[in-house]
Amino acid sequence: MHDIALGQYFPGDSVMHRLDPRVKLVALIAFITVIFVVNSAASFLLLAVFTFALLLLSRIPLSVYARGMKPILFIIIFTTVINLLMTTGGRQLFSFGFIHIYEKGVINAVLVSVRLCFLMLGSGLFLTYTTSPLSLTDGLESLLSPLSKLRVPVHEFSMMMTIALRFIPTLVEETDKVMNAQKARGADFSSGGLISRAKALLPVMIPLFVSAFRRADELAVAMECRCYRGGEGRTRMKVLRCGRVDVVFLAVFALLAAAVVLVNVFFPLFAFKL
Amino acid sequence: MAEIRLEGVSYTYGRGTPFEAHAVKDLTLTIEEGKITGIIGHTGSGKSTLVEMLNGLIKPDFGRVLLDGEDIWADKKKLRSVRFRVGLVMQYPEYQLFDETVRADIAFGPHNMGLSEEETDERVREAARFAGVGFELLDKSPFELSGGQKRRAAVAGVMAMRPDVLVLDEPAAGLDPKGRASILSGIREYSEATGASVVIVSHSMEDMAAYCDRIAVLADGGLAMYGTREEIFARRDELRAIGLGVPLITDIAYELSSLGVPLGDDIYTVRGVAEALAKLIKGRER
Ligand SMILES: Nc1ncnc2c1ncn2[C@@H]1O[C@H](COP(=O)(O)OP(=O)(O)O)[C@@H](O)[C@H]1O
Ligand SMILES: [Mg+2]
Repeated sequence: MHDIALGQYFPGDSVMHRLDPRVKLVALIAFITVIFVVNSAASFLLLAVFTFALLLLSRIPLSVYARGMKPILFIIIFTTVINLLMTTGGRQLFSFGFIHIYEKGVINAVLVSVRLCFLMLGSGLFLTYTTSPLSLTDGLESLLSPLSKLRVPVHEFSMMMTIALRFIPTLVEETDKVMNAQKARGADFSSGGLISRAKALLPVMIPLFVSAFRRADELAVAMECRCYRGGEGRTRMKVLRCGRVDVVFLAVFALLAAAVVLVNVFFPLFAFKL
Repeated sequence: MAEIRLEGVSYTYGRGTPFEAHAVKDLTLTIEEGKITGIIGHTGSGKSTLVEMLNGLIKPDFGRVLLDGEDIWADKKKLRSVRFRVGLVMQYPEYQLFDETVRADIAFGPHNMGLSEEETDERVREAARFAGVGFELLDKSPFELSGGQKRRAAVAGVMAMRPDVLVLDEPAAGLDPKGRASILSGIREYSEATGASVVIVSHSMEDMAAYCDRIAVLADGGLAMYGTREEIFARRDELRAIGLGVPLITDIAYELSSLGVPLGDDIYTVRGVAEALAKLIKGRER
């Protein structure tokens, strides 16, 4: 139960942790754009070196990142197989019975796998591992705040997200507790067919719903008591501030991204294209 | 009737993450047959983790849990029957109630054991009586009960399995004094009527003194002391060093006897000391 998402934030005090969440969000968007724009081996190599440097900078054990790649392994295998079998174009490399593998299929498969790996690493590096969920929603709210001029309820959304994030660990913990309590009375969640298993979950779901509603009620009252009235005129205890480190980071990051793209344009060694 | 032996058990939460917590460390303890054993310790000393090992909800990283000499983890298929024999009431159990009526909720355990309707019905009534759930409450929804009544219903839900070892994690926490006394004496009655061993987790020294035959003191995930209440409370200074202390009345009795007032042996409950004092005063009047 305790391996569920959110346990993913890896507390620390590295440069990557201390960056302004808005800077990290922007950097991640730029990073993703770059990995989908470039397509030459030289660029990916350069990108790999930069990414590796950033991984080290985050002071999070590389094994943690490696573990984070596990969930996408299946997707990578799946898309690779589909690409190999379905894509035609270029020379035919291999043919056996109904299986025909073409050059373009191989290239697509490699390209998609590499991009997915970078995507996973990047989102872990900039967000999930180094940014606590709360500062992430703060960053989002601040980045999206211009939209509130267009009457988009940005503050309300971010408050909802903050509350949801805040209570996910509580809910996980409570699920654990209730499941244990029912197991102690002989509940059996792991045998029987689909229907009997779904039925076995009732004694867990009902207490969870009851307490979730009770908690929502209590939270609403508590917020009311402190005169919560929405986002207007609300000040913050932790004000997001873009410091010198953030500016330097953004500048260096922009240079590197430009370098990767330029390499792709001018020295497209082993470009993955046909 | 059963005895549980923990042999060098250890457990760590969140192993390999930055949130690692060594909850129980190399602990050896025997829960004696037919006795009421109290487990006492600070918040975070590992009491809840320890009791969840007793019925196999938590598997110790190291060490063994023996129920009547048999390792409960030797055959995972038997784990469920272990849980019927070792009934665990978790901390704040009122949040586990789910069924339409209190009666059906108490019957959840017996149903899972595969007992017949008549047998289940008898067990529900017996458990309700021990736990102090009034019969008029049995057909109500558990969500209509008061906090104290919910707690009793949850305790009854475990007693209804008629476990050989009844384990309760802070059964009296957050109840008013009268509620505490009645739930704890109900547990003692259950033990006396069925001969079951009982484990009560608490951080009230007064409750320990009044209800327990044996006391285990936990500190920082390890067993700091184990013995009868006389043996444990005689080590006042060590208890204080752990930050636990002895019942207030015992402290007073010790102070009195150091002033030369002989109070006899039962200095662990207010009633015992009061009777000893009354005897002394009557003796002097004569
Ligand atoms: N689910 C959990 N995840 C992580 N750590 C936990 C969990 N449950 C308990 N702990 C930690 O284990 C230690 C012992 O906790 P616990 O057994 O609940 O103590 P007690 O019941 O004596 O208060 C504490 O330091 C606590 O923070
Ligand atoms: Mg506890």
